[in-house]
Amino acid sequence: MATASRVDAFGPLVGAGKPRPKLRLLTHVCLIAFGFAMLYPLLWMVASSFKPTEIVFRSPGLWPTQFTIGNFAAGWNALTSTFGRYFFNSAVIAAGSIVGNLLSCSLAAYAFARLEFRLKRLWFAIMLGTIMLPIHVQIVPQYIMFSKLDLINTYWPLILPKLLATDAFFVFLMVQFIRGLPRELDDAARIDGCGHWSVFWRIIIPLSKPALATTAIFTFIWTWNDFLSQLIFLTDPKKYTVPVALRSFVDATARTPWGPLFAMSITSLAPVFGFFLAGQRYLVRGIATTGLK
Amino acid sequence: MAVSQLTLQPADGTKVATVRRRDRLRRRENAAAYAFLTPWFVGLVFITIGPIGASLYLSFTDYPLLDAPEWIGLENYRRMASDLRFRHSLEVTFKYVGISVPLQLAFALLLAVVLDKGIRGLPLYRAVYYLPSLLGSSVAVAILWRQIFGTEGLVNQLLGAIGVDATTGWVSHPDYALWTLILLNVWTFGSPMIIFLAGLRQIPRELYEAAEVDGAGPLRRFWRVTLPLLTPIIFFNLVLQVIGAFQSFTQSFIVSNGSGGPADSTLFYSLYLYQQGFGRFDMGYAAALAWVLLMIVATITAIQFLAARKWVFYGDR
Amino acid sequence: MRAQHIGRRRRGRWLWAAAAAGLATPLAVAATPAAATQPEEVTLRFAWWGGEGRHAYTQEIIDLYEADNPHVSIEPEFIDWSDYWNRLATTVAGGDTPDVMQMDLRYIAEYANRGVLADLGPHLGAEIDDSSFDTPLLASGQIGGTQYALPTGVNALAVVADPMAFEQAGVEMPDDTSWTWDDFVEIGAQITEGTGGDVWGAQDKGYNESNLEIFLRQRGEVLFTEDGELGFAPESMAEWWQVTLDQLESEAIPPASQTVEVENAGIDQSLLATNTGAMGFWWSNQLGALADASGRDLELLRFPGGSEGMYLKASMLWSMSADTEHPEAAAEFISFLLSDERAGELMLVDRGVPLDVDIRESIADALDPANAKAAEFVEIVGAEAEPPPGVPPQGAGEVQQILWRLNEQVLFEQMSIEDAVAAFIDEATAAIGG
Repeated sequence: MATASRVDAFGPLVGAGKPRPKLRLLTHVCLIAFGFAMLYPLLWMVASSFKPTEIVFRSPGLWPTQFTIGNFAAGWNALTSTFGRYFFNSAVIAAGSIVGNLLSCSLAAYAFARLEFRLKRLWFAIMLGTIMLPIHVQIVPQYIMFSKLDLINTYWPLILPKLLATDAFFVFLMVQFIRGLPRELDDAARIDGCGHWSVFWRIIIPLSKPALATTAIFTFIWTWNDFLSQLIFLTDPKKYTVPVALRSFVDATARTPWGPLFAMSITSLAPVFGFFLAGQRYLVRGIATTGLK
Repeated sequence: MAVSQLTLQPADGTKVATVRRRDRLRRRENAAAYAFLTPWFVGLVFITIGPIGASLYLSFTDYPLLDAPEWIGLENYRRMASDLRFRHSLEVTFKYVGISVPLQLAFALLLAVVLDKGIRGLPLYRAVYYLPSLLGSSVAVAILWRQIFGTEGLVNQLLGAIGVDATTGWVSHPDYALWTLILLNVWTFGSPMIIFLAGLRQIPRELYEAAEVDGAGPLRRFWRVTLPLLTPIIFFNLVLQVIGAFQSFTQSFIVSNGSGGPADSTLFYSLYLYQQGFGRFDMGYAAALAWVLLMIVATITAIQFLAARKWVFYGDR
Repeated sequence: MRAQHIGRRRRGRWLWAAAAAGLATPLAVAATPAAATQPEEVTLRFAWWGGEGRHAYTQEIIDLYEADNPHVSIEPEFIDWSDYWNRLATTVAGGDTPDVMQMDLRYIAEYANRGVLADLGPHLGAEIDDSSFDTPLLASGQIGGTQYALPTGVNALAVVADPMAFEQAGVEMPDDTSWTWDDFVEIGAQITEGTGGDVWGAQDKGYNESNLEIFLRQRGEVLFTEDGELGFAPESMAEWWQVTLDQLESEAIPPASQTVEVENAGIDQSLLATNTGAMGFWWSNQLGALADASGRDLELLRFPGGSEGMYLKASMLWSMSADTEHPEAAAEFISFLLSDERAGELMLVDRGVPLDVDIRESIADALDPANAKAAEFVEIVGAEAEPPPGVPPQGAGEVQQILWRLNEQVLFEQMSIEDAVAAFIDEATAAIGG
């Protein structure tokens, strides 16, 4: 049972023999160059958001020959509601989704990881299978159902699935994680008379912080970037979220102001970037955990 | 199963008492499990399986969305057999998956191996390479991608700056448009890379040292030690990335402006499905297409699992 | 230990209560609006497509109406063209049809035949003041005599030309009352040559099926017949595409991939807008946007090959949901949109030259030069043109997309003209047959 060691598996690693200094320098140079090339499109977009629209496409360079911050104000106010509104909407949905996923996925994961019950393997296989399902087919029957419940143009169609553990990926992630926790703590608590809920709430959850953090961060990123379902379920422009708003910036029968568009694109990607920086550790651990079984 | 065995030691009836107690505990565990799983079950029925079942039904109907569904049996599937655009979208999608996934994984593995050598600043590099993966599925990046591969876009300007006379609109030429999307997918190799990194870390150092003692050079060590032990992870990444790539939608939608063009060269299967369902309002056909997609993905995944027996080395775990 | 047990039970109950409340709320909300309609408070859902400019002034129009009619509250829904139809289809399917919605000729049949659109006929002369409507135009919104929609205004497809570009190339502006398609190709080639490739003669015409329609009408044929079938000979369409190939060969139009890109980028990246093209086919109400983007004085020319093929098209129309709970209120709002002076002043000709003749007069002075030119052009075409084609059959929206795709294949020479024509006829027939 390689549990304790797995949690510590991210210590600094010394490879099989340190490479020679010259090789190491070359490696660094290559890595930096490659990394720069990879990030160049993003950097260019950032730079372009500070250039006036007219010159955006004139030069591939990163340094703005004409510098302006007007794009941000223009982009912010370009649509009928300010982008602040769209950010708020996206945030509400993200928050609701995070809470939903944390609760429901951990509940389901505890059952799969710690409990024995009839048909467990069947349900587990089904859960894994749902990861593969394409959303396009679910969305129209879902739409009709939500519309009959009069929930269209509310945030419920976007958040309710999260409250019902439909993101099987996170259930899987947490199952893997919980399986790695030593059972002795569970057993000790059970002997003390704790019911499953107590074990879950008082022991497993506190120990699962890394997996929960990973879930929260990924949920945030996925809902923040989600496009199709937000487009379909939200009809009132005041309820639009950031991706939908960005898309409506690019209307083929009118004009596309690229400077402000890029400015708002950057702004919309910033929270994702921020979460990433803050939670990098968890992201990495989380991805790795799912990969290693 | 963590049933605490409280064995009291009086006389005869004990065994029965223990068994009954065990049964009771088992039943309670059953009940607890199902209680914990209630939200998931509800979700399964109403959000996941229910709609899928509904769409299976719809695939046998003619459902123009604005009218009620009308049963037509296998007509939709028959139509698929002679639908040229359907076949074309399959070609495009298979090409996309078949090229971009191996390429992406190759880069992921390469970078993971390089970074695993005890490089200083690993977290920074890891972050830099992961970032595109994070942002790659967003509308903003898709819009950006369409722009930079345009005739006057960034890529051509950069090529011009190094002396190459580039005037092709990559995104607007049927021979190249798909490649820009392939490139976009390969660009997001950061996520599988991190998984590879974690996997590499799990390889016991002793094996490397033993190989070195035996006189194996770095390439040999990679081939004989690293790769075989990584096969489970390669397999995992392969399965996940293939499934994801088959369902690709947003990028092709934004880059081709919803058309799958130019001339259907970027008509991903998902996009074709979307066009049928929301363009022609032909939900019955779209449902049939979705089920075919499901079958294809399931079959390919199954094949991968079967093939895995040949090349995935699980070691002595 | 005992305390823990009790705590757990209490918590359990609380969870159930919360869940029950959570489930009950939406159901409760769903139940109440079905109550009897209070004559005072009316809420109308109003949907349209467009860009930011249109959204902004339409919102102002809404504010005006709400100020005048405090008991009416209007919920706007707006999005861009391509997403509009997806959204509308899903909302209608879900039973949520907007009370008032913007319509396009290509989609009216689709919705009208399914009983989604209300008959506005009874409201004409009642809630809708039609005394100053340009009556012949009403036919554009009728199917079998039932008025399913009212045109917001009309425009005409025209050749927009840039005199400065002609000058730059040293080519004379054509006489648009007598030029032929061959002339059109020739002039285009001359311009490209004369400017050394800096300015293209024209932008490709193949993305707009109205262009094809006019071409066919010049030959006495039609795109769609009254019975909802294709109404032209394959040779005619082959000729139409031959013009494209001639232009491609003589470099009157840019290479295929550039055309694709320009088309996808929208009007502000069009050849005219970027001063890299001398001619293009655009709707008359797009002249303003083109003039602004290009920074030049652009001209509207008649189609080559004879202006009798041209026609006044209802640029867009207003429809009402057949299931609306407030038909009178919706009709009144539509009337406001069509005939109120203040609304007219805000809308100007963005939705076409207005249906209401009085409004046309009242805004004539407020029009900037480009829009004034457009309005004038519309009057000219109105006088010269044949009556417009009827409402296209169901599936016309898809026909447009079929044409886009096949046009691209022709441009990239992936398909011969004969094959493309055959494919178009096959696919279009299937699209409108269903």
